[in-house]
Amino acid sequence: MADTYSSAQPDANATADGFLDDRTLKYLGVGLSSFFAMGVVLLVLYILATQVDFGLIPTILPQFIRAYGLVLGIVVTSSVLSVTSGVFVGLARVSKTRLTNAISAAYVQFFRGTPLLFQIFVIYFGIPALWPGLFPIQNWGLPTAIIALTLNHAAYVGEAVRGGIGAVHDGQMEAARSLGMGYIQAMREVVVPQAWRNALAAVGNDQIILVKDTSLLTVIAIPELIQQFRDVNSATFDPWTPIVLVAIAYLSITIPMGRLVTYLEERGDWGGESQ
Amino acid sequence: MSRGDVLLEFEHVDKYFGDTHVLKDVSLDVANGEVCVVVGPSGSGKSTLLRCANRLEEIQAGEVRLDDRSVSDPDADINRLRQRIGMVFQSFNLFPHKTAIENVTLAPRKVRGVGAADARERGLELLAEVGLSDQADSYPNQLSGGQQQRVAIARALAMDPRVMLFDEVTSALDPELVGEVLGVMRGLADDGMTMMVVTHEMGFAREVADRVVLMDDGRIVETGDPVAFFENPDTDRGAQFLSKLL
Repeated sequence: MADTYSSAQPDANATADGFLDDRTLKYLGVGLSSFFAMGVVLLVLYILATQVDFGLIPTILPQFIRAYGLVLGIVVTSSVLSVTSGVFVGLARVSKTRLTNAISAAYVQFFRGTPLLFQIFVIYFGIPALWPGLFPIQNWGLPTAIIALTLNHAAYVGEAVRGGIGAVHDGQMEAARSLGMGYIQAMREVVVPQAWRNALAAVGNDQIILVKDTSLLTVIAIPELIQQFRDVNSATFDPWTPIVLVAIAYLSITIPMGRLVTYLEERGDWGGESQ
Repeated sequence: MSRGDVLLEFEHVDKYFGDTHVLKDVSLDVANGEVCVVVGPSGSGKSTLLRCANRLEEIQAGEVRLDDRSVSDPDADINRLRQRIGMVFQSFNLFPHKTAIENVTLAPRKVRGVGAADARERGLELLAEVGLSDQADSYPNQLSGGQQQRVAIARALAMDPRVMLFDEVTSALDPELVGEVLGVMRGLADDGMTMMVVTHEMGFAREVADRVVLMDDGRIVETGDPVAFFENPDTDRGAQFLSKLL
């Protein structure tokens, strides 16, 4: 039995029933995924060749660029606001003060427990109805966008941060407090930086979802990317030209964001693999 | 305060975890410059007693005092008192996102407001004292357990504590790394540091302790001179504890 795992054994990779050994499985995987990839590439080429009207692009590009700029502006603003306030939501969620804890828990329950679309309606239609005249509806769309995305995603970021804090060993807080640091100081200097590293993947994931959530703003007539699709499609009955532009626009934001998260994760390795 | 005056006092301390009575009317004085080693079977309350000294554990009755100031009083300025009480943990608890020197300088800078350059200079001295001058810029991940524990000792010393608490600081180490940590502790004892040490290292207790305290079931059952304790314990419980070690 000493050489059971030895590679000298010719059929060391064979499974007991001999149906699918490791090598067959590997080639099957490569074969299947290549097959699908090739199918997708062919489909995309076919669409570009037969469906996309390149002559239309110069006409519609300006409105897409304006929409792209607007989406970027909304994303950057709500991203900064939701991550910043999300950290505080997370801190409130781990607070031992019962009131702080209960209020932050209720906040998360509401904003995570109802659809973002509903929240957009509440803010867009509900808030102006409370104080008639104070929020003229023609100027209320953009504030609604920022407020809804921020409140919604701060809840998710808060939960990610709470999880990140929970994963920091209790000994870290004890060591910091033993050196004479106060609770807030120990949180700031010791616990939160580590919690942030723990939460990074989940926060990044959420922020990518935030980018895609801007598409919901079409229901309150924010001239974002989906709105441009509908506009062009209803005027020209050409679905594929605007689809391609919308896809490029979203992916050009979300793919670099994914890269940024990976970069930040690697930078937070603190001298190698964690213990 | 001169050598021999009482520095750290536990007076009739009672401590419960829920319904479990873990410290039962414990009284103990640790004198200035003394090395007091607490031994006893696991679950005897020795680590809990140590953790009451800087109020990582709250007590339900009695009082803990450092230099005549109450540590256990809820109104005590605990952050100030803790600066005077260095603590070293079994699991090191170094800050993994900070280098060795940053671990050592963090508290002096953030708590005491020492300037970056001064803190670094003092930090490098302390790392040299524990034999780690060449590892100042390493992260805890890149250090062995023994090295991490020595950084943790330097980190506690950076606040110029009056007393150092050691909570089973060699228990998580590979056997061949225990010696380097005990060596640093022996050096501290020789320099006159007041130390309260919870340990299973009986050789260290015998050699370095000024006094050995035996705890069992939440009580102090015997205290005495280490040579006398190890040669000829006063109590049956002491004899029984020692016989299990051999």
